[in-house]
Amino acid sequence: MGLHAYLTLSALVFAIGLFGVLTRRNAIGILLGIELMLNAVNINLVAFSRFTGDLGGLVFSLFTISITVAEVALGLAIVIVIFRVRKTVEADRLDLLRG
Amino acid sequence: MRILVWLPLLVLGLPFASFLLLAVVPPLRRTGRGAGVISILAIAGAFLGALGVWTQGFRTESRWEWIPADGGPMATVGILVDPLSAAMLALITLVSLLVQVYSLDYLHDEPARGLGRYYAYHSLFAFSMLGLVLSPTFLQMFIFWELVGLCSYLLIGYWYDRPAAARAAVKAFWVTKLGDVGFVVGIVMLWGTTGTFDFTTLFAMARENQIPAEGLTLTLFLIYLGAVGKSAQFPLHVWLPDAMEGPTPVSALIHAATMVTAGVFLVTRAQPLFLLAPDVMGIIAAVGAFTALLAASMACVETDIKRVLAYSTVSQLGYMMTAAGLAAAAAGFFHLLTHGVFKALLFLGAGAVIHAVGTNDMFRMGGLGRAMPQTAIVFIVGTLALAGVPPLAGFFSKEAILAGVWQHGATTLFVILALTAFLTAFYMFRAVFLVFFGRAHAAGHPHDAPWLMRGPLWILAILTVAIGLRYAIGGHGDDAHPAPGWLAPFSVVLALSGIALAWAMYQRGAIEPAALSRALRPIDFMARRRYGLDALYGGLYQAFILGFSGLIGWIDRYFVDGILNVLSAWTLRGGDGLRRIQTGRAQDYLYGVAFGVLLVVVWFHWWAQ
Amino acid sequence: MIVETVGFAVVAVVLLASSLAVVLTKNLFHAVLYLAAALVSTAGIFLLLASPFLFAVQLLLYAGGVVTIVVFAIMLTERLVGERIAQTSRDIVNGAIVAAAVLVAVIGFLVQAPAMTPPATAVAEQTVAIGKALVGPFAVPLELLGLLLVAALLGAVYFARAED
Repeated sequence: MGLHAYLTLSALVFAIGLFGVLTRRNAIGILLGIELMLNAVNINLVAFSRFTGDLGGLVFSLFTISITVAEVALGLAIVIVIFRVRKTVEADRLDLLRG
Repeated sequence: MRILVWLPLLVLGLPFASFLLLAVVPPLRRTGRGAGVISILAIAGAFLGALGVWTQGFRTESRWEWIPADGGPMATVGILVDPLSAAMLALITLVSLLVQVYSLDYLHDEPARGLGRYYAYHSLFAFSMLGLVLSPTFLQMFIFWELVGLCSYLLIGYWYDRPAAARAAVKAFWVTKLGDVGFVVGIVMLWGTTGTFDFTTLFAMARENQIPAEGLTLTLFLIYLGAVGKSAQFPLHVWLPDAMEGPTPVSALIHAATMVTAGVFLVTRAQPLFLLAPDVMGIIAAVGAFTALLAASMACVETDIKRVLAYSTVSQLGYMMTAAGLAAAAAGFFHLLTHGVFKALLFLGAGAVIHAVGTNDMFRMGGLGRAMPQTAIVFIVGTLALAGVPPLAGFFSKEAILAGVWQHGATTLFVILALTAFLTAFYMFRAVFLVFFGRAHAAGHPHDAPWLMRGPLWILAILTVAIGLRYAIGGHGDDAHPAPGWLAPFSVVLALSGIALAWAMYQRGAIEPAALSRALRPIDFMARRRYGLDALYGGLYQAFILGFSGLIGWIDRYFVDGILNVLSAWTLRGGDGLRRIQTGRAQDYLYGVAFGVLLVVVWFHWWAQ
Repeated sequence: MIVETVGFAVVAVVLLASSLAVVLTKNLFHAVLYLAAALVSTAGIFLLLASPFLFAVQLLLYAGGVVTIVVFAIMLTERLVGERIAQTSRDIVNGAIVAAAVLVAVIGFLVQAPAMTPPATAVAEQTVAIGKALVGPFAVPLELLGLLLVAALLGAVYFARAED
């Protein structure tokens, strides 16, 4: 199995995640899409690490995973706060910044 | 020898120091009378110094570089003391001192704050006027020339909350400025052809015929225009009567004795140059004589006592200018000095009367001779001097002018001036009879002014008599123009007949004033309307200045503002359009991010390699 | 070799299928479960890439931690709103076009890149090596990560506190 197979797989997962982020109405759904995209990034990092023999990729993906966990915790907390205030988690209606 | 320089500088510096002190130390200025005392002390010191300069009779020049340039300084400042400026120094400091003392009581109802301002202006004026007469160069003279104009503006508008005073101040400023434009253009043109502003150098060049004759007439005419504005010559005399809106002491100092004579002083000072341009001299003399007659005729129909004196001043300035224009500058200058003394006396006397009765209208005064005997006496002394009755000061100076005119062979001008002398005696005694004799109209109990006001009046009256006696005993100082023997009796007859006419009309009632008015209907009609000049200037002002500013205003409103409005409208519309991009939905922004990523990718793909 | 190929194919298919399910399913709760499946299959990929340590981290943190938090969040919001949250999508065509464009762009890079073969042997004692790297050259980022986690913890507590 060559590097290309892993990178292609990762690109596919990334595109699927991007699609989810762009189309989901629910804020939690958007967060799920982001998780997918970050996951694709991790696949890339680990694959490069494996194929170049550099340990840095592994350490980086380790950091990515940890940061993702923090991001998810915070993101969901924000979603809950928004839900309390606006009584909705639909991203369409969260347009206070509209010009 | 150092004192030769330092004494005039001290005279110049004391009023300036006083002005600086009052200008930059507001608490001092707000004391009012305290400020007055400081200013008076300064001008008294200056007066003593000026007396020293004058009596020593020395002549000195000092210069300091002002604008250095390659090949010698382009401009210098300094002082030039000669008999001419020394005499002016004495006159200016004397009248300034007396007027400032007089003002302490005259304006004693003023708020302290305003009084401090008044004295600060006075100190500045004294400094400026002294600087003007001490100037050794045209450039320095012009600077002080403008400074006295500024002081005149400030003091005419002293009661700036009165619309009439504010208007008069602006009018005086504008009208004199009209002449000043000519003045500055003239001195620059003169500098262009000769390369110097310096009087001494210029006079030396004039003696040796080194000044190019080409264009000199125009140059000197332009310089003369400055004198026309400042000395209220026709056709720029209209500001002076209006300037009477200022406090009376100001009128006495600035608009009778000192500033308005600056034009005469200029022509006298630059006499060697003017002699090179006979045409300009002719104009100066003709305009002077015409002004004298015109102003005298207007004084005959005026009812405001201060305006009578103002027209009289214009008329006497015309006298001086005529003399200066006929190469009898010494006689003109002599008249300037004597006139300065007795016209200040008349103004201060009028001020005492106005102070007592609270009106300017002569027809509402009357019989004041009994109530204010001292004022009446000094006023009559001044009037006799102005009318030219011997042995008072005015007689000799006026006779000197008439002699000079006669010697020069200008018969027409002589006739005009003689007629003016007759009218002068008439209108002055008209004022005297209306104010001090006849039936009393004034309400209340008018009485002589307090001693601070009376003192200056008496000093000036005594001076008027003393100068006259000095010449009556010592003979004429001016030997260049020996008077023909019949001239003295002739002038006395003129003066007395004018007085007699006034007596017949306003005291005796033998001639009805209205009947005379009817007999001279056209002149009376025109004189009462000031020969339409004010209306003409008002119309021109409106037509040109207001029309022009209206045009500018239109361009500003519709053209300049239009461009800005279009620009701002476009900006607004553009912003409104761009606003719609901001939907506020995070996902829409994400499309932007995705497009950005694509752009970077495409760029890498095709261009980066 | 054949085992690895087959394993990759299976795991890849599961990963792609569950990822699609995450973004397409209507039921939010199901989406989270599909995400868990996707994360687990990613862990499988890590195993195929000879990274057992990351395999463990992925299972523990992602499949264990993240999925649990998300499930909590969904249940919390559904309890608050009192009804099951429908998971609808919008602008599907636009999203698909943009996502496809990004995909094409990335694939475009890939086809140009030279093929690489893995080194003969994987890093021995991988866990030990990672541990040494974390306290060695990556010590400062590790400390910063700790700081970030504390900040995130405080932030989450602040947001989620009871309203007063």
